[in-house]
Amino acid sequence: MGTEAATGSAVRSALVEARGLSKQYVQRSPFSRKRFVIDALIDVDFRVAPTCLTALVGESGSGKSTLAGCLALLEKPDRGGIWFAGNEVSGCGARELAALRPRIQMVFQDSAGALNPRLPAGQLIAEPLEIQGRETGKNLRARACELMEEVGLSADWVDRRPLEFSGGQRQRLALARALALKPEFLILDESLSGLDLSTQAQILNLLLDLQARHALTYLLVSHDLGLVGQVADFVAVMHRGAVVEQGTRQDVFGRPAHPHTRQLLNSCRGIESAFRSARSGGRS
Amino acid sequence: MKYLERRVVHGMLLLIAVSILCFLFADLAPGSFFDEMKLNPQISSETVAALRSQYGLDQPLPVRYGRWVKSVLRGDLGYSFAYNTPVRSLLVIRARNTLLLTTSATLVAWLIAIPLGVWIASRSGGWEERLAMAGTSFFLSVPELVVALVLLYWVVRTHALPAGGMMSVDFDDLGAWAKLCDLAAHFVVPVTVLVLASLPILIRHVRASMVEVLGAQFIQAARGHGIGRLRILFHYALPVAANPLISLFGLSLAGLLSSSLLVEVVMGWPGLGPLLLEASISRDVYVVVGAVMASTLFMILGGILADVMLVVVDPRVRVE
Amino acid sequence: MASRRKIIVAVTFLLSLHGAILLAGFVAPQDPAAQNRDFPFVPPTRLHFVGAGGRIHLRPFVYSWVARPDGLYQYEESREHEFPVHLFVPGPRYQIAGVFTSHTHLFGVERPAQLFLAGTDNYGRDQFSRILFGGQISLAAGLLATAISLFLGLCMGCVSGFYGKWMDESAMRLAELFLVLPWLYLLLAVRSFLPLHVSSGQTFLLLVAVIGTVGWARPARLIRGVVLSSRSRKYVLASRGFGASNAYILRRHVLPHTYGILLTQAALLVPQYVIAEVTLSFFGLGLSEPMPSWGSLLASLQQYNVLVSYWWMFAPAIALVLVTIGYLSVANAFHQQLQSDSI
Repeated sequence: MGTEAATGSAVRSALVEARGLSKQYVQRSPFSRKRFVIDALIDVDFRVAPTCLTALVGESGSGKSTLAGCLALLEKPDRGGIWFAGNEVSGCGARELAALRPRIQMVFQDSAGALNPRLPAGQLIAEPLEIQGRETGKNLRARACELMEEVGLSADWVDRRPLEFSGGQRQRLALARALALKPEFLILDESLSGLDLSTQAQILNLLLDLQARHALTYLLVSHDLGLVGQVADFVAVMHRGAVVEQGTRQDVFGRPAHPHTRQLLNSCRGIESAFRSARSGGRS
Repeated sequence: MKYLERRVVHGMLLLIAVSILCFLFADLAPGSFFDEMKLNPQISSETVAALRSQYGLDQPLPVRYGRWVKSVLRGDLGYSFAYNTPVRSLLVIRARNTLLLTTSATLVAWLIAIPLGVWIASRSGGWEERLAMAGTSFFLSVPELVVALVLLYWVVRTHALPAGGMMSVDFDDLGAWAKLCDLAAHFVVPVTVLVLASLPILIRHVRASMVEVLGAQFIQAARGHGIGRLRILFHYALPVAANPLISLFGLSLAGLLSSSLLVEVVMGWPGLGPLLLEASISRDVYVVVGAVMASTLFMILGGILADVMLVVVDPRVRVE
Repeated sequence: MASRRKIIVAVTFLLSLHGAILLAGFVAPQDPAAQNRDFPFVPPTRLHFVGAGGRIHLRPFVYSWVARPDGLYQYEESREHEFPVHLFVPGPRYQIAGVFTSHTHLFGVERPAQLFLAGTDNYGRDQFSRILFGGQISLAAGLLATAISLFLGLCMGCVSGFYGKWMDESAMRLAELFLVLPWLYLLLAVRSFLPLHVSSGQTFLLLVAVIGTVGWARPARLIRGVVLSSRSRKYVLASRGFGASNAYILRRHVLPHTYGILLTQAALLVPQYVIAEVTLSFFGLGLSEPMPSWGSLLASLQQYNVLVSYWWMFAPAIALVLVTIGYLSVANAFHQQLQSDSI
């Protein structure tokens, strides 16, 4: 996907849009009156362009995961609205929500925690199909094998348990599971963190392949700016619960407006240039 | 001492809740002491009805509970239909006897368990440990009822000690010292049963706790400094191992009271146990409620005692 | 591995014990209700291998008991006739599990000799047979009560851990109430509030219900812990993302984690509840005469003369200890297996 196409799609309407999202976490100690209030999201406006890769960056505690959770319909914001493909999501009833879920999927950071260790790979991948009632019996297994092949895993491993896979292979499993319902929008919440660089690269290539094949829209949440610099079309920077800057990669990385963005970029300039020189050509 | 304050309030709330539970049960009961009386053809139903209203049993539940709470606060715990005396006088004597039995048994059990457990832990991996684990396993499998009966059998056969009861028949005629000896003689068997019942689990926990602490690095450091073994065991290791043991003490109180009930009934020791049993059979409501409340009170007091000990022994609790 | 072998050994022992008790009609040489008024308080029949003239028999034999004229309840063996012990002998009719009827008993002797392996009681009833049949009652009580406790604990624990907030708070406060009271006091209190004079079948069910219901708190707490930790797993969140209902998540992801706890708790609770039933029956608040529960069998020891002179009346205690040892070793083995599994 070139820059022109990216800019072009920015003109088109966003696939996912959030306006005025706010969320607070309140912890109350059982016997005293003290309340600990954490402002995870403060009046966030955010857009995700279709068939592109949007990256969400920021330090730990900036609210990235909370925003991702809200967009994945796994968490409810206190205030604000979310639109998916033009339809408002926030006021949806249970039935409409259930219809929406197959279109939005999430891949988590910790693959070992995200996959039930007692179930074999085939059942894990087929779980969404089973829940949604799309396939039954033998077809489930066949579909699971298909998905495994698609993410680069051998279908012979369909009966192995997650802990028998390596970290990178487990993320492929999680990916296969997320793809089972043929979603349009995939959220990757730090899915590449904790993997070694070569595995990261492999998974990244797989992701880009899948995007091309299935016209997927990605939201990549990451604290790794070097990674983001390689692959993102659009970047949004979060700081203490607010989105401080949003735009194309070139704009945000090349001409950062917000002081915090500049701070972030400065702290990893060295790594970034090392990346750029190491992968000459990259994805620019 | 915010921690202790909280625990005391917690205990009082528990007492109130238990009393409500007791009254709920009593109300849900199909029939009562007086239904048994009704079966007696010699007593007319009018008499029964009159007695019922005299005791206020024909009032609705909240009224009865309210009256009971008011009278408790005045020190009056209700009336025993079976014994025809106020519950309070019954309870005080029986509770005192049970307390005597349980506190002595607890003291003796812990006084044996701690040195024994510490010694076994210090010889971890040796034959002493295997013997102790096998022995405790076996004794854990023998129910207290059986232990009580076996001990009673032995006592009866050998006539070594009086079998049952708290005092001999001619107690009042004895001199002061003889009275003490008589009490002590009656005391030995019930206390032994209780101690035998609780010892296995105590020894195991002391051993486990000590073994864990002895593996810590500060112990190695102490050894490296050439500090003597006994000092390490009791001055360095035991205070740290004491924390889970004190919690165990708090948790074991319920089991102790149940065991003492059993022992008291089998050995004829006049404590809360036989009282509750008789009241249970004759559906003497206020006695049952009183006995259950008394046992709950003991539990709570024991729990608070355990919390106090914890605060004293473990400085980490104070920081909170 | 070692812990698996331990489980197999312990479970085999337990199963054979239960098998013998289930097949009480077959294993017991006598009818438990049959009274022999001529032979009250007979000591256990001695098995002999050496006969008259010093002959050694491979098959054990017994002598007939004859009442001694000088004392009350004094017996001696009459050496006139040797009665060998046979296997698979005909005897009084019995039913297994209310379905299967037969005459054949595992072992026995010919009339007029009688085989009292554990002596007789004051009605001349064979204690050994009564212990076996009593085991059916006491074990059934323990098993049923355990089922009730575990079921209640599972329900409360799941509701508490899954739905959280005020349901969790109130359930746990209630559990604390049940846990703070000494179990025997609680049992007696609850039992006291229920009618005394009911039929033995109803008494049994009542007993089971009371023991089982009172003990729901500890399993509920443990299950709640498992449910809480499972619920916070990312894969549960992922399942919600696929649109899974609460029921699906409970069934697929949460319940399987409870099986280990349920098994270990079962192995720990059954002996406790058997002891509870025995204790209550011993006190006269449970099953009483003529039901041969181990508790009512042991209750005769409360009489001074029985305690002193007739030591074989202790036999039900041995059965109780064997059952407890069996279950505790199974519980131990399960626990060790679970520990090694989670590592």
